[in-house]
Amino acid sequence: MADLFRIGDTVRASRVDPPHHTRLPRYARGAAGTVTDLLGRYPLPDRSARRLAAEPEPVYAVAFAARELFGEGDHTVTISLWESYLQPAAAEPRGTDTAAATSLPARLRRDAPRGRP
Amino acid sequence: MNDVGGMQGFPPVPQEPDEPPFHADWEAHVFAINGALIGRGVYNLDEFRDAVERIPAQEYLASSYYERWLRGITMLLAERGIVTEEDLAGG
Amino acid sequence: MSADHAGPAAGPAATVRRLEALLEQRGLIDAGQLDRALGTFLARASPANGARLAARAWMDEGFRQRLLADANAALPELGLSMGGGLQEQRLKVVQNTTDSHNVIVCTLCSCYPLALLGPSPTWYKSEAYRSRVVRDPRTVLREFGFELEPRVAINVWDSSAEARYMVLPRRPAGTEDLGEPELAALVTRNGLIGVAPL
Repeated sequence: MADLFRIGDTVRASRVDPPHHTRLPRYARGAAGTVTDLLGRYPLPDRSARRLAAEPEPVYAVAFAARELFGEGDHTVTISLWESYLQPAAAEPRGTDTAAATSLPARLRRDAPRGRP
Repeated sequence: MNDVGGMQGFPPVPQEPDEPPFHADWEAHVFAINGALIGRGVYNLDEFRDAVERIPAQEYLASSYYERWLRGITMLLAERGIVTEEDLAGG
Repeated sequence: MSADHAGPAAGPAATVRRLEALLEQRGLIDAGQLDRALGTFLARASPANGARLAARAWMDEGFRQRLLADANAALPELGLSMGGGLQEQRLKVVQNTTDSHNVIVCTLCSCYPLALLGPSPTWYKSEAYRSRVVRDPRTVLREFGFELEPRVAINVWDSSAEARYMVLPRRPAGTEDLGEPELAALVTRNGLIGVAPL
C-alpha cells in the first residue's frame, strides 16, 4: 500500500488526546508541519502496546516551526510521526506559498541553501 | 506524566560531570533484565513504555528513572501472572 | 530487613535481587547471560564510536556524504552498527553547519542511540531537559555553557519513533594537521547530542 505523504507535503497532526499509549507528543497536536524524510514502516505503537494487530505503516519526519507549536521561537522541531497521526493540511490554492502558510523557515524548504559544514 | 515536551515550570537541566553509565548495580540489572524479557517476547517495548506510563502519577513523580523501569517491569509481570506482588514480597 | 525479603518497604536493590531470582527459577533469564550481555554492551557502546564517525566524516568527504545519506549503511565501514539491541534501529546523522545547529531529545521517554553512544546521561532523561529543549533550545544550550550565535538556526529532533539521531559537529578551525584519532578525541558526548559545539 502506497505512502499517503511524500517529502515536501504539508501535514497536520491529529488533535485527539487518546486514553491509551501513543507516540504523538501533546505539544504537536493540531499543528501543521512539513514532511522532510521517510523513516521506514513500523506497526502503530498505540495498537502494539495493547497487543492489537498492527500492520507496519509509514513513519515520517515532520518539521514544525516553533511558532506553530508554541506561539514563539525561531527554531524548528522535527518529530517522527506515524501516518495514523497525520492528515493532509488544508489544500492551498495554486500559487500560494505553502511554506509561508505553515510559517516554515525558508531554509527548511526543498532546495534551500544549507550553509557550510 | 511522561509527555512533557514544551511543558513549563521545570528547573534548569541538572548536570553531573563524568557520571557513570549506571549509578548502582541494580540499575544496570534492571536495564539488562528488561532487554532479556523483551528479547524473549514476554512483553514488547511498546507494552513496556505503556506500563511505565500507567504508573500512578504520584508514584511516577516520586520515582527515579530506573525505579520507574523496575515498576513497569513488575507491573507487566504481575499482569501476566508470571511474578506476583506476593512472590516479590515472600521469602 | 533481610536481603531475602522484598516487601513494600524494600529498596530497589533488594527488589531487583528478588526479581532476578524468581525470573531465573521460571527459566526466563539466566543471571550469567545477563552479566555477559551487560558487559558486552558497556564495552562496545560508548561516545567514542560517535566520535570516530565524526572524525572520519571530517577527513573523508565521500564518507561524510554516505553517512548523511544512509548512516546505517555507512556505519560498518568503521566496524560499527546500530544492531546489538532489540532490533537494528534506523540512524539519522544530522550535521551542524555555519548556519544551523542540531540538538537531539526524546520528549516522551528517553530514546537515544544506545548502540552507538552507550547509556545516556541522566540529564538527557530528565523532565527538565525533555520539556525545555523543544520550547527554548537556546536557553538550554546556554545552561551547558554553549552560547550559540543568534543568526545560527536551531533544529531540535524529537526521537518519538524508531529512528535515532546523532549530531555531526562542525570540525573546529586549526585542526588541519590532526590525524583521525586526534580529531576523534576532540568530540564529546554532549557534542554528539548537540548541547555542545564539539
